[in-house]
Amino acid sequence: MLLYFTRRLAFALFLVFAVSSASLLLTKLAPGDYATESLGMEAHRESIELARTRFGLDRSIGAQYGDWLTRAARLDFGRSLLYDRPVRELIPERAANTAVLAVTALVLATLIGLPLGVLTGSRRGPLGSIIRAASLTLLSTPPLITSLLMIFLAARTGWLPIAGMRSAGVPSAGFSVDLVQHLVVPALALALPMAAMFERLQSQATGDVLGEPFVLATRARGVPWSRIVWRDALKPALRSVASIYGLVVGTLLSGSFVVEVVTSWPGLGRLMLDALRARDIYLVVGCAGAGAVFVAAGTLLSDVALAWVDPRSGR
Amino acid sequence: MGMGSCELMAKPRGLPLGQLSGRARALLSAVCGCRAVQLLPLLVLVVAVQACRSEAARPDNASAGLRRGGSLVASVRGEPRSFSRLAARDTTTQLVSDLTQAKLVRVNRVTDEVEPWLAERWTRSDDGRRYTLTLREGVAFSDGQPFTADDVVFTFRAIYDERTGSALADSMTANGRRIAVRAVDPHTVELIFAEPFAAGVRLLDNLPILPQHVLGPALDSGTLASAWGLSTPPSSVVGLGPFVLAAYEPGQRLVFDRNPKYFRKASDGSALPYLDRLTLEIVPDQNAELLRLEAGQIDMMMAEIAPEAYAPLKRAADAGRVTLVDAGVGYTANSLWFNLKPGAFAGDSRAGWLQRDELRQAISLAVDRKTFSDTVYLGAAAPAYGPITEANRKWMWAGQPNTPHNPEAAKQLLVRLAPSGGMRFTLLTQKGRADLERGAAAIRDALQPLGVTVDVAALDVSALVERFTSGRFEAVYFSAIATDTDPALNPDFWFSFGSAHLWNIAQKTPATAWERQIDELMARQIASPDDLERKRIFDEVQRVFAEHVPVVYFAAPRIYVAYSSRVLNASPAVTRPQLLWSAETLAVAH
Repeated sequence: MLLYFTRRLAFALFLVFAVSSASLLLTKLAPGDYATESLGMEAHRESIELARTRFGLDRSIGAQYGDWLTRAARLDFGRSLLYDRPVRELIPERAANTAVLAVTALVLATLIGLPLGVLTGSRRGPLGSIIRAASLTLLSTPPLITSLLMIFLAARTGWLPIAGMRSAGVPSAGFSVDLVQHLVVPALALALPMAAMFERLQSQATGDVLGEPFVLATRARGVPWSRIVWRDALKPALRSVASIYGLVVGTLLSGSFVVEVVTSWPGLGRLMLDALRARDIYLVVGCAGAGAVFVAAGTLLSDVALAWVDPRSGR
Repeated sequence: MGMGSCELMAKPRGLPLGQLSGRARALLSAVCGCRAVQLLPLLVLVVAVQACRSEAARPDNASAGLRRGGSLVASVRGEPRSFSRLAARDTTTQLVSDLTQAKLVRVNRVTDEVEPWLAERWTRSDDGRRYTLTLREGVAFSDGQPFTADDVVFTFRAIYDERTGSALADSMTANGRRIAVRAVDPHTVELIFAEPFAAGVRLLDNLPILPQHVLGPALDSGTLASAWGLSTPPSSVVGLGPFVLAAYEPGQRLVFDRNPKYFRKASDGSALPYLDRLTLEIVPDQNAELLRLEAGQIDMMMAEIAPEAYAPLKRAADAGRVTLVDAGVGYTANSLWFNLKPGAFAGDSRAGWLQRDELRQAISLAVDRKTFSDTVYLGAAAPAYGPITEANRKWMWAGQPNTPHNPEAAKQLLVRLAPSGGMRFTLLTQKGRADLERGAAAIRDALQPLGVTVDVAALDVSALVERFTSGRFEAVYFSAIATDTDPALNPDFWFSFGSAHLWNIAQKTPATAWERQIDELMARQIASPDDLERKRIFDEVQRVFAEHVPVVYFAAPRIYVAYSSRVLNASPAVTRPQLLWSAETLAVAH
């Protein structure tokens, strides 16, 4: 087991290094840089060159990459040109906001999708058909559309704030009812398509498990059907969902970027978008690296979950 | 100015009877009776006092219905890059600067006239090179420090300092030359231009006056470029503007409180701004912005509304939730231009026609501007035939030819250019801008029946700007916004050496005779002190431009702005920020 987790950790570190390096090189190769973005199209070439020198952007790709690599080894990920703060201070602030959103969405999706999947996988009838149809619809709907739909509903009903994380004047840290109100729209926008995916997977898995001989034997012994479904068949049926949890975290992150922009949630996605627009190279690298950390952590979580539901996979 | 009406009424001039002529007294006595006449001044005084009391009951009224107090929420699309106008040119940074800083003069966005601001009056020397500005007295920064001529001199030093690398340095020049500034006394500054500059103090509308006592040490140590960055405590951002920065929540909002030291007063003498608080919510998505406006969660947007948003907002306006205003035709039309740099297509078989005037004339004839307006702007646009739109009445040439829609004439021109046909070129435009993408498609569709194939490629804005500033393009359809309505303040577009001379940027010498002619005309136009002469010269510039059509224009959009019904005293303008340009006089219903 120790060897297993050591291998996973090494893979995670490699993933973060590869993603960060690629994002630095790609940002450097993209047209424009922080100097041109901040001074604008009308600026004279001489002014832009002076700004490039001041920001250290006139160095070669190799020199900048080597410099970044050296500092990253000391856990110094550079200074944001846009915010004039160390990247390692900025990332955790916004990553925490994204984590709040992502974890809430994941929990909601699990609480909605899994029970509905068990329901539709264990019985037939009009209710199951309605749930299946709704799932297929939501599954086909990208997070951009669901977030637009959610803010539209929020605007029309007036029940919930449409955008942002907190209202003006509310403390920017800590739990509050205001935070929960602001969380509903973006979390549901993320959670509903995921819940649909969980429902479909769980439904299929439940149906498969309920066809196993041990279920028939258990029924023959007179155990009530509901106990079979919710106790005996549930754990084996969770294997499908547990195996994709890592992938879900990855899609959750990319989906949250879109949702964060539409709902003005101040998370990592918004930060990365602003950094890309401003060509703030070190901040882009930091955000990409943080994203890779999320995916690596999600993959590890997926393996742990799979080991729990199916101990055979942990050996 | 500055005396309240109440004060005037309390001091009736010439009314005490003892000072009236005998004939007047006799007349009054005959009309009113001796005792009534003697009581008349007292009566007038009583009435005046009653009126003053009524005024005093509403001490904050500047005009009927306006009361001081309340807050307003506006939306902006992006985060500011800095709190300093010197460091960045994005629209949010500019807005922060407009709210917290003040200028020497202000261009009224509705009338387009220059208004005294921190400078209350100015004179120009006979040679047109020296402007002497008298500054308002008794003005203080938001921290209480007095504003003097030294702050003006400091500001110019700051923008021209090479270590600062200011975003304003290039725009605060006249004919490419820096302006010399000296303080004559604590309330008088003299601006000295290297050459006569007719636009004069209008240039100063771009320049926020900075506090020397706060930023002086940063300038001296060469760190001004990083001063007032986003991590600066809001209380450190000191200014002369109507508001002070109270809070910045990254990714969420900027909060501004009224500046109690603000120097401007309403027409009745009451202090400005009317609002106690102004909040800028950062809302990157336009759909969310519109929904929030309709739902009443924000009071206004910083920018104009897109044509496709008009219908839902019209419904909201009809229901009384928002006010929808047609501010008029914009000053800028999106532009189509080709790469006219000599030798840009050397070795290319299309070199014979791609840079010819006739190609651009043919395109202008081929596109039906009415259809273009309907397709791109859903009908909410006016035809445009030149760089000066009908909104800019002062400078628009009355003789601008209105190119008719004539596909047959266009076809004849194209056949003469390429008798064997097969004309094809790539048109770059900005990805994500619906008006530009639709416009490029409309151009492509108009040329296709004439045998011209247009490959439209939509690029990210940075990539697009990089392509045409480096000369690696064939044709571009983009939005090049003029910085001012006065052509003298857009030298980079008109002069061949300009950084915004789109079709052939930053030429060392004019590549063509007509560009040399425009250079000479513009040099005279900028220097002439006679407004009529300037107009005549600029008409000639537009004539030459129309003859060679280096840039083709099709339609100038109408600018619609929407704001909450609780907002009062809004003065919508066609340039951004359409409503917040006069934030100090905005009020809300209580």
